[in-house]
Amino acid sequence: MEIEKLKEQIIDALNLEDLTPADIEDDAPLFGEGLGLDSIDALELIVLMEKFYGIKLQNPAEGKNIFKSVNCMAAYIEANRTK
Amino acid sequence: MALEHEEWKGTTGGLPWMQRTMIKWLSVIDQRVIYVALVMIFVPFYMLTCNREYRAMYHFYHRVRREPWWKSFAHVFVNQYHFGQVIVDRFAAFGGREFKFEMDDREWAVYCGMANADDGFLQLSCHMGNYELAGYILRQPKKTMHALVFMGETETMMQNRAKLFAPRGVEMVPVMPDMSHIFALNNALRDGNVASMPGDRIFGSTKAVECRMLGHRVQLPQGPFQLAVTREVRLMAVWVMKASHDTYRVHCHELKANPELKKSERVADLARQFAAHMEQMIEQYPTHWFNYFEFFEQ
Repeated sequence: MEIEKLKEQIIDALNLEDLTPADIEDDAPLFGEGLGLDSIDALELIVLMEKFYGIKLQNPAEGKNIFKSVNCMAAYIEANRTK
Repeated sequence: MALEHEEWKGTTGGLPWMQRTMIKWLSVIDQRVIYVALVMIFVPFYMLTCNREYRAMYHFYHRVRREPWWKSFAHVFVNQYHFGQVIVDRFAAFGGREFKFEMDDREWAVYCGMANADDGFLQLSCHMGNYELAGYILRQPKKTMHALVFMGETETMMQNRAKLFAPRGVEMVPVMPDMSHIFALNNALRDGNVASMPGDRIFGSTKAVECRMLGHRVQLPQGPFQLAVTREVRLMAVWVMKASHDTYRVHCHELKANPELKKSERVADLARQFAAHMEQMIEQYPTHWFNYFEFFEQ
């Protein structure tokens, strides 16, 4: 799983025009502190996982761990991707 | 623990036993008896005691609609009366009362087209009229409706809502801090069902789209429009407006995303289309606007 590619997809999906992949730390929290994302951004990340990796997230409890950081997202994608 | 709104409780007044009594009464007596009590007792009482809500409504008529003070005052009274009527009708519906609904044939055809398609769609409401009764007429044999609700209502209200809506294929989705509502709405649209939410209340996410309404700036929530654009689903605005004691007029209007715009511009454009239609509805039903806080920026 290419972390840089995932960061680019996140920047594009969330319209974070002022950021580059280098600005996003691999282990920094995506929600709250760190990137400071909120529920609308969560939707974009859910759809991103579905669109690019064929992963259909259903369970909010699962989402909490997956969206902890870019590294967590990458690890989940690597283990569950269907495309 | 569900989230609560800072400025607006969005809950129905009265203790649970009062609400249960009201439902029992309304299952046997005509709701017009309660309408009389509204004019004589409840509306004057609320105007004297609920100052914050009263002031917000007075400002709406006086500053936003530029009505003279006496007309603004009269409109606040009528507004409170209409609000009381829709609450009474809601209790009457819980007690089994059936209402008549009227709808324009062309609007109904568009709505049926969306309801019978395989794809899901998003249904937008706002704090006008009695949207909760939409579950009666807008039944969809092929789809379930997942309605975003702000929690805080009493158990009586929630139980009765669930009892009323379950046979009609409506599920309530409370706004939660763990963002489970986002998953529920996303799942609903992905599975070809209907997601329903208010388009005039910023809640959960603080992201908003600035629009103009009645010559004033307003902030509409970005979420509903973003959801429609991201999931590429159609968007229908629905208003259920009281026409007489036993009849409601249902208005539907499809908001169309412009594919030539960038994604963020498409979201803003949809919000502005919704604001424009909400403005038309306010002009048509000025005393049925129930957003009891300072919605319009000065």
